[in-house]
Amino acid sequence: MNFFDHLAGNYAEVLALTGEHVVLVLQGLVLASLIGIPLAVLTYRAELPRSVVLAVAGVFLTIPSYALFGLLIAPLGLGTAPAVTALTMYALLPVVRNTVVGLRGVDPAVIESARGMGLSRRQILRQIELPLAWPVIITGLRVATQLLLGIAAISAAVNGPGLGNLIFQGLSSAGTPFAVYLALEGILGIVVLAVLADLAFAALNRVSTSRGLRVD
Amino acid sequence: MTDASATAAPDAMIRLENLTKAYPGQAEPAIGGLSLEIPRGEIVVFVGPSGCGKTTLMKLINRLIEPTSGRIVIDGQDVTEMNPDELRRGIGYAIQQTGLFPHRTVAQNIATVPRLLGWSAEKVSARVDELLTMVGLAPDTYRDRYPRQLSGGQQQRVGVARALAADPEVMLMDEPFGAIDPITREALQNEFLRIQRDIRKTIVFVTHDIDEAVKLGDRIAVFGPGGRIAQYDTPEAVLSDPADDYVAEFIGSGAYVKRLTLTPLSRVAAATDWPTVPSSADREERVAALRSADRDFVLVLDGDRRPVGWLGRDLAPDDDRLTGNGLPLLSSLGPDDTLFDALNAMLASNADVVVVTGEDGRYRGTLGMAAIQELIHTASPAAGAGPERAAGPAPGRSDSPGTDSPGKEVR
Amino acid sequence: MAIAPAPTEPAGGTGAAGPGPRPGGARRLLRYAGAPAALLAVLAALYLYVGAHDLDRIERRSLNAEYLLSRTWQHLGLSLVVVVLILAIAVPLGVALTRPGARRFSGPVLALANVGQAIPTIGLIVLFAVAFVSWGIHTIAITAIVLYGILPVLRNTMVGLDQVSPAVIESARGMGLGRAQVLWRVELPLAVPVMLAGIRTALVLTVGTVALATFIGAGGLGDVISNGISSNRTVVLVTGSVLVAVLALAVDWLAGIVEDVLRPRGI
Repeated sequence: MNFFDHLAGNYAEVLALTGEHVVLVLQGLVLASLIGIPLAVLTYRAELPRSVVLAVAGVFLTIPSYALFGLLIAPLGLGTAPAVTALTMYALLPVVRNTVVGLRGVDPAVIESARGMGLSRRQILRQIELPLAWPVIITGLRVATQLLLGIAAISAAVNGPGLGNLIFQGLSSAGTPFAVYLALEGILGIVVLAVLADLAFAALNRVSTSRGLRVD
Repeated sequence: MTDASATAAPDAMIRLENLTKAYPGQAEPAIGGLSLEIPRGEIVVFVGPSGCGKTTLMKLINRLIEPTSGRIVIDGQDVTEMNPDELRRGIGYAIQQTGLFPHRTVAQNIATVPRLLGWSAEKVSARVDELLTMVGLAPDTYRDRYPRQLSGGQQQRVGVARALAADPEVMLMDEPFGAIDPITREALQNEFLRIQRDIRKTIVFVTHDIDEAVKLGDRIAVFGPGGRIAQYDTPEAVLSDPADDYVAEFIGSGAYVKRLTLTPLSRVAAATDWPTVPSSADREERVAALRSADRDFVLVLDGDRRPVGWLGRDLAPDDDRLTGNGLPLLSSLGPDDTLFDALNAMLASNADVVVVTGEDGRYRGTLGMAAIQELIHTASPAAGAGPERAAGPAPGRSDSPGTDSPGKEVR
Repeated sequence: MAIAPAPTEPAGGTGAAGPGPRPGGARRLLRYAGAPAALLAVLAALYLYVGAHDLDRIERRSLNAEYLLSRTWQHLGLSLVVVVLILAIAVPLGVALTRPGARRFSGPVLALANVGQAIPTIGLIVLFAVAFVSWGIHTIAITAIVLYGILPVLRNTMVGLDQVSPAVIESARGMGLGRAQVLWRVELPLAVPVMLAGIRTALVLTVGTVALATFIGAGGLGDVISNGISSNRTVVLVTGSVLVAVLALAVDWLAGIVEDVLRPRGI
C-alpha cells in the first residue's frame, strides 16, 4: 500500500479535517479582524495607545504556540475554544500592524485636501483612508492566514479540530506503515490550503482594490 | 499700509478680524492679531519665505487650522463658529501636492464636493465635463483615468478643476504650481489667469515665489517673520515702493525687471510710424518705399496685414532679395506677451525694436527700447500709488481701464 | 512603506521583517528595563500561585526544582544547538546564493523555502520521527527544528546583501578591494541589521518550537505542559506554559538588545 492508496481510503476523513481546519482558521481570522481593525482605527493616530496595542499584540505573537494553548486550557478547557482564542491572538499583530501601517501610509496631502473640501472625519476614514490602506490590510490578513494555517495544527494537541489530528494520529501510530502517510496527509493538506489561501487573497486584492492603486 | 482693515474696502469677500493663532508652548503666536480684507473677485497672493505664517493664515480662512481668537467673515457671514466641514464645502481648495485621491478616477475626484452637496448624477457629470474642458483636458480622454496615469501638470489641472467643482465663490490655493517644471508652470499660470478672467472668483493664493506673486496677484500680501504682513498692495506698488527694507530685500534685486513682467503688451501703445510695405507690392513700389523710409528696415505685411519679414534699405534695386518676404521676422509678440518678453526678444535678435501684433495676429505697431525705458519710468511709484489706492479694490489686470494703474496709462 | 509582506514570520518572533528604528531615550529604557521587570513579576506571581497550592503527588513529580531545572537546561541546550546549526548553514548559504554566479538559484531556493514555511512545525517534527525511526530522538528534533528555522535567517541574509547599493560595491571594487574584501568589509557590515532581525526571529521561533520536542520524547519545557495536559493538573499546565512563554519573551528581549548593540553605527 503506497501513499496514494492510503489517501484514497482515508480521503473522507482528510476532507472533513481540512474543512475543520479552514473553519478554525477563518474563525481566528474573522475574530482578529473584528478586534484588530477597529483597534487600529482607534489608535493609529495616537502614539501611546498605538505603541501599547502593538506591543501587546507583539507579546502574543512571541509566546510559543504550545505555551499559549496551554495557558488557555486553564480557563477555557480543551477543544475548539482555546484553539480559536489562541489563533485570534496570533493573528492580531499582523492585522493591527498592517492596518496601522496602511492608514498611516496615506499621503498627508490627500487627507489635507479631503479635509479642505469639507469631508468629515468619518467620511475621510471610510471614503479615503480605509480604501487607500486596503491593499496593506489585505497583506496583513494574508500573512495572518499563513501563520494560522500552520499554528492551527497544534490545536489537535489540546483536542481541538483540524488537520493536526492527522499528524498526531501519525505520531501515535509510529512504527506502523501508515504513520508516515498520516503525517504527510496532514502536512500536505495544510500546504495545499496555504497555497490556495495565497491565491484567494491575490484574487481578493484584485477585485477589491481600486484600479487607480494598481496602475503605474 | 500694513493693516488693510484701517481703510475698509467697500466689497470685501473675506474679512479677517484680529485673527490670532497661538500654539501651546510657543512664546510667540504664529499669527498675532492680524486683520485683512480680501476684495471680491480678486486674486490676493500671500507671499513670503517659508515659516512666515502665510500658509497658516490661509488655512485659518477655511479653518483647517482653528484660530485661537478673532473673527472670520466670508461674504458678510461670520463663519468662525459654523460647522467647519460645511464651511469648507463652500470654499475651493487646491494644494501643491494636489492631494488627488489615487483610488478614484479624475471624474470621481472632481465630483467629490458636488456629491457631498447632493447634486444629481446628471448635473455632476455635466459639471465634470465642463470643468475638464475649462482646464484644457479633453473629457472623453481623461474622465476615467486615475491620477497616477497623469503627468504632474495634468494632475494640477485636475486639482484646480476639483477645487472649482461646486462653483465656490472663494478659492484657497497653496502653491498649486510649485512642484511643476518651469515651462509647464508658466503655461498653467497663463491658463489660470485666463480662467480667472471668466470666473472672477475671490482667490487666496500662497507662494514663496515673488515672481509668481507679481504675475498672478491683483494684490500681494508680503509676509515677514512672525506672521506679520509687511506690505499689502498691488504688485506695481510693492515693486516700486516697498514699504520697508524687509520688503525691498524680499523683492530682491531686479525690481524693475520684475515690473517688466507686469505689463502685457495689450496695455501698451505700439508706435505705428514704422514704414511698411504690403507683400503684394512690386519691385518699383518696394524700392520707392525703401527710399522714402527713415529707418534702416521696412516691414513687409501680407494680405491680412500680418507681418512676414524685413527689407533692408541698403538693398540695390536689382537685388533678388528685394522680392519675396525679405529677411525672416525673428519674432512678433502678441497681446499676452509682456514688456519683459519684448525686451528679451530685442536682446535675442540684437535689434532695438520688436513687432507687436493684435489678438488676430495682425500688425499693431512696433515697440522700441526707448519706449520700454520710458514706460517703466512713467510707471514709477509716484504715479498714483497713494494710500487710497492701497485700500480700494484694485481692478483686475484685464479689467476695464483704471485710472490708478500705472501700467495702463500708456494705453 | 514598511508593508510587512510576510518576510521573517511566521509562528513566533515579533514578526519584525527588518530592523526597526532605534528606540530613543525613555522608550529604550522602558524596553530594556521594563520587559525583564515584567517577566520577573510574572515569575514571582507564578511562584506565589504554585506556592499557594497544596501539591499532590502527581503535581510534585513535575513541580520540583530539580525537574524544572533539568527541563529548562534541556530546552536551552537544544535551542542553542539548533541556533548554532541554523547560523552555520543559513548565513553561508545566503552569502553563496547572492554571489554573482549563483544568483539564478536564489529565486527557486527562496520559493522552495517559502513553501516549506507553510509546513507546520509539529508536522515536520512528527514526520521526521515516524520516517526516520532509526535516528535518535534528539537528532530528529534538532534536524526538524533547524530545517524550519533556516528560512528567516537565509531570507534576511539574502535580502540584506541584495539591498546593498551596487554603487557602494562598485566604488569599493574601484578602490581596489577584492571580492572577498568587499564581502567582509562592505556588504556584510551593511547587511547586518537585516540579518540580525532574521536571526532574532529564528531565535524566538526556535525556543518556541523546541517546546514541541516533547511530542517525540525529546524533552525540554514542553514536557511540563504535556504533563499538565495528560494528568489534567492545571497548576502543572500553567507552570509549564508560563515558563515557556517567559523563556521566549526573555530570549526576544535579549536578542533585541544584542541587535541594538551589534547594529553598525551610521545605519
